[in-house]
Amino acid sequence: MRHSKCLADSLVFVSLLLFASTQVAHAYVDPGTGSYVIQLIIAAIAGLAFAVRIYWGRIKGFFSRSPSAEQSTSADEQ
Amino acid sequence: MSNRAALPSSFRDPSGFLFAEDGSLYRQVNQAYRESYDHLTGSGLYDALTDSGSLIRHEEVALELARTDEAYRVLKPEVVPFVSYPYEWCFSQLQDAALLTLEVQKKALDFGMTLKDASAYNVQFVWGKPVLIDTLSFDRYHEGQPWAAYRQFCQHFLAPLALMSYTDVRLGQLLRIHIDGVPLDLASSLLPHRTRLSFALLSHIHLHARSQKHFAERTVDVKSRKMNRLSLLGLLDNLESAVKKLKWQPKGTLWSDYEEEDSYSADALDQKRQLVADLLDQVQPRVVWDLGANVGLFSRLASNRGIPTISFDADPGCVERNYLESRRKSETNILPLLIDLTNPSPAIGWQHEERMSLMERGPADLVLCLALIHHLAISNNLPLSMVADLLAIICSSLILEFVPKTDHRVQRLLSTREDIFTDYTQEAFERTFSQRFEIQASVQLEGSERVLYLMTRRRT
Repeated sequence: MRHSKCLADSLVFVSLLLFASTQVAHAYVDPGTGSYVIQLIIAAIAGLAFAVRIYWGRIKGFFSRSPSAEQSTSADEQ
Repeated sequence: MSNRAALPSSFRDPSGFLFAEDGSLYRQVNQAYRESYDHLTGSGLYDALTDSGSLIRHEEVALELARTDEAYRVLKPEVVPFVSYPYEWCFSQLQDAALLTLEVQKKALDFGMTLKDASAYNVQFVWGKPVLIDTLSFDRYHEGQPWAAYRQFCQHFLAPLALMSYTDVRLGQLLRIHIDGVPLDLASSLLPHRTRLSFALLSHIHLHARSQKHFAERTVDVKSRKMNRLSLLGLLDNLESAVKKLKWQPKGTLWSDYEEEDSYSADALDQKRQLVADLLDQVQPRVVWDLGANVGLFSRLASNRGIPTISFDADPGCVERNYLESRRKSETNILPLLIDLTNPSPAIGWQHEERMSLMERGPADLVLCLALIHHLAISNNLPLSMVADLLAIICSSLILEFVPKTDHRVQRLLSTREDIFTDYTQEAFERTFSQRFEIQASVQLEGSERVLYLMTRRRT
């Protein structure tokens, strides 16, 4: 839930960036803030993808394991 | 703080600095870095990283060696045999250095630490492999904090690799101009539009550059924004797969398809190899530089004898093929590097002292200069005396192959230019080089008019 909100926020922000007008560069500009903000956004998306990949692996593992598990349970019952 | 004793490559870091004493290199760790240093060594991270060969080893030495009173420890790191810089690396060397940096960052997180720097200059090739050499790059990791080195990683690694892969491999040279990595707005403008179709390149380079510009003059309370550990791992995983996906094939560069054999019959090539090998055995140098090494055929005569050998070439394709071969064979004594001898790496950075020029990193005991002299003298109009001057600075022994004007390779060079090289004769060559070197031996190569020389530098 928290991730989906993050993702939605991110997409809005990304769209804002894409359409943001370009600004004149000044000597006092700090690239750090922009790097910080974009990192949070990318990490939220990448973290979600990373989690999905890990959990998808576990879910697949769970289902591929379950028939044999059932078999052994029914064998025990007999 | 006074760190006048610091070597110029390490003055930026308040955690400590490098200094040299009696020919040895030391690293002072300051009190300010005490907690992080203790965690690095106490948590097992130092052992894990040095055991895997990812971090340079050091020994702790007497604190009396410290240069300032804020010292906490003095370390003596393992010596890096030859310092090289990212603008001297081929594509795969920079890629391997990037992957090492990410691997170290992931391992650090396992031990509750994080890399505070992701500078390509913190990586060196030691005995054939990339190794992190900055022991003071680690800080404690606190849940919620983003990766402080993210921007530097993008500038030092991802942007130049993407440019080399998608635009032109020669754009790796932007690192020589931009000492803190390729500015992301520059990378974004040079990359083709299709890179926007890749999530990683769209976000880490194009949107990253846009975000830097967007927030440049805005005040944002970034400190209150946290990033959980899973997001951080996702970010690192995404960067890793982005770096791995980037490819560059060494095709179409001028020299990468050039075969040494073209200029010789099989017998003549064998003879040349045997002669060079015999001369190496005779001189027994401790360090060899092979200039114009191509893919390193003759460099390997030295490196396979256990002699640390730097294999220079000006062609990115040759250096790439040379490095890939050394990696495939797990060779430890050869270091292929991208160097144009007619415009070698200068000293760069603050007061020209942060990164050394090529000359400062010499001299070598022996230089191999095989089938190169005609390129310097004819293609580059360099007088033979100036070639001899340079070689006398960078080596004490020289194995040089003279290629006379009658050689078909030289004829090809002359086919498109006026022959103004009246002094380019074997006699003039010997006379000129004799001012700097003593000719110890000369042998004409079979089936050609080329002559192989062994020379030793005259004492001045």
